Amino acid sequence: MSTQAISHPAAAAPRSGTNAAATRLVLRIGFVLLAAVFVVATLLPLLVLLKVSISAPQDIMTARPPFLIYNATLEHWRALLNPATLYGPARHSLLVATGTAVLGVLIAAPAAYVISRMPRTWRYGLILGLLFTQMFPDVGIAMPVAITFLRLGLNDTDLGLMLAHLVPTLPFVAWILVGTFEMIPREVEEAAFVDGNGKIGTLARVVMPLAAPGIAVAALFAWLKSWNDLVYAIYLFLGERTLPLMTFYYSNRGSVFDTATFAVLLTIPVMVVTLALQRYIEAGTLSGAIKG
Amino acid sequence: MRLTRRQFGALALAGSTTLLLAACGQSSTGGPASAGGGQTTGGGQTTGGGQTTGGGQASGKPGTAGGNGGGGSVSFVTALAEDERTALGEILKGFESSAGVQVKMIQMESQDVVNQLKAKKTAGKVDVDLVAQDNLRLGPLVRDSIVEDLSGESARVPETTIDALVPVTQFDNKRFFLPYRPNVQIAFYNEAKLSAAGLQPPKTWDELLKAGQTLKEKEGIGKLAIQGAAGDPLSVTVFEFIKQAGGDPLALNDAGTVKAFEFMAQLEPLLTPEYRTAKFDTMNTIISNDTAYLGSNWPFGINVIVDKNGRKDIKAYQGWAGPNGESHVLGGEVLGIPAGAPNRAGALQLAEFLMSKDTQAALLTKLGWPPMRTDAFGNVPEWQKPYFQAVQEALKHVDARPNVPYWEDVSRAMNDAFRDIVQQKQPAKETLDRYASAIQKAKQAAGA
Repeated sequence: MSTQAISHPAAAAPRSGTNAAATRLVLRIGFVLLAAVFVVATLLPLLVLLKVSISAPQDIMTARPPFLIYNATLEHWRALLNPATLYGPARHSLLVATGTAVLGVLIAAPAAYVISRMPRTWRYGLILGLLFTQMFPDVGIAMPVAITFLRLGLNDTDLGLMLAHLVPTLPFVAWILVGTFEMIPREVEEAAFVDGNGKIGTLARVVMPLAAPGIAVAALFAWLKSWNDLVYAIYLFLGERTLPLMTFYYSNRGSVFDTATFAVLLTIPVMVVTLALQRYIEAGTLSGAIKG
Repeated sequence: MRLTRRQFGALALAGSTTLLLAACGQSSTGGPASAGGGQTTGGGQTTGGGQTTGGGQASGKPGTAGGNGGGGSVSFVTALAEDERTALGEILKGFESSAGVQVKMIQMESQDVVNQLKAKKTAGKVDVDLVAQDNLRLGPLVRDSIVEDLSGESARVPETTIDALVPVTQFDNKRFFLPYRPNVQIAFYNEAKLSAAGLQPPKTWDELLKAGQTLKEKEGIGKLAIQGAAGDPLSVTVFEFIKQAGGDPLALNDAGTVKAFEFMAQLEPLLTPEYRTAKFDTMNTIISNDTAYLGSNWPFGINVIVDKNGRKDIKAYQGWAGPNGESHVLGGEVLGIPAGAPNRAGALQLAEFLMSKDTQAALLTKLGWPPMRTDAFGNVPEWQKPYFQAVQEALKHVDARPNVPYWEDVSRAMNDAFRDIVQQKQPAKETLDRYASAIQKAKQAAGA
């Protein structure tokens, strides 16, 4: 009896360790499989678009299009990469999206910092207010915004479109940044202040660098939202078009090849910007900030 | 050299300022519109083809404008594809040199025209002089007083204008628009597949049913397509079936309408499942990738299906007739002048030029657009001729959609009745009675 009583825990320990290892393995395999599903679900539509954009019609216009490309062609790209067609819209889209992101962060960051340092009650009220603005769909407010901007002579200008894009973007950017600044411990600021940094110095040298990941996320969001916008561009841009409008109009023409080619073209800068900003979006940037 | 934080900050600030200053620059407002353009019932690329009605040969030189010159420049809103815009630009050069008026083409899709012009009007900043707008999207322009009453300009409309176009330009016996270009749907079909099934392109409802049954038995799935996407596409489809049965879409519960809905209910199981999302753009794909072997679309599909998608084996004909004969919705575009247009005289001058015999002939020759008058003639590329022939045949049997202020209610009722009767197999007469009553209420509410 006693032997058994003693041997039981000793025997259970390795089994328990084995079980835990097996569970970890199963979880890891499950995670990898799930990640693979997400990767495929994300990339497959892009691959289909790319395939259509470089395929000859006979590879696509059949009841069962093959997965591989048997008749590759750059004809659709050649037709689209026409400087007269592409240069203006690409310039407008890049300028407006970048301007919206820069302006959005410049305006929202100080406001968000102040909100994050407010008493809890005020803070939540203001955050709810910021979220409340997201309840209105762009199509619902685009017309009054357009009328106001037309009166101000801001139609057909990149600045006008940037400002219009800031209407829906700014509250969301501010909301993201409030969360970011809330995560920065006040002790860090106090320590910097004790070290002789003034208010502005503390903000510039300590708070903002620590908030860089959040700012990158906010800028990325603002850039993407502006880059993809169709609603405001339709109302405010009658001269040269933006790239999303071009994609929309080409898809309206009924040719899947033109649509796919423009859609791929529209996606490339998104991937570049996302990859460029991704290195700033690292988990655990703030961990250890108040250690040592 | 490493930048200090201060230097980096200064550079970032300078960059942001430069960006903002660059952004303040005016884009090419009103300049030649960029590519694209939405398909309208008259827009998009139509086919070309041999001669149109009447005789004679176009000189290819656009006519000179009549009327009093507006001078300056005219902003002309139109939705065109890239090659259409280039061709129209060439034609307009003749107008610019002869009339001394510069034309600025602005790309605006037909579905955006109402809201964009409404915004401009409300802001008191109307900078558009002339609009080419889809025939099927005119109601809101008149209802919201976005376009001018052009009753006083009726004398400018050519006497040789196709009769069916006249009612399209009028609301309550007032002329709000000038005719520009007619358009009509034709039926595309896969010649080889139909032949393999021992079928000819169906010319009657009975033949259409038989074709649907034969193809479904052979392929195991429906191979016919109608434009069943909710909204305007389905409205056009239902309207045509009703007229082919001798019904009245504004009444919606007469014997002809009941017959049309009963027929559509019979046809529905023989359709490809994709018909539910089929409209002007998706129909091209459905036909091109053999999802369906027969389906109707606007003639711009010829360039997409045959030329771009490389399906030279897809042919076209004018479509089928019902018990009351053939009927096609008259699509196309008309010209309107926005209220408050800065250069009204120039706009009228340009409109007159666009309606002229030589310009209509040039539009046919260069773009394959069917003329809006019976005395304009032109030539189109050889390969397009059979398709254009189909367009010409269909144009002989067009019905203009009635310009009534409650049309949106009628359109909604037709859509809802299609869902209830054709898709959910509810009894036709009782269901239509219900929707007819709703239309009557809408009519009374509109004071019509």
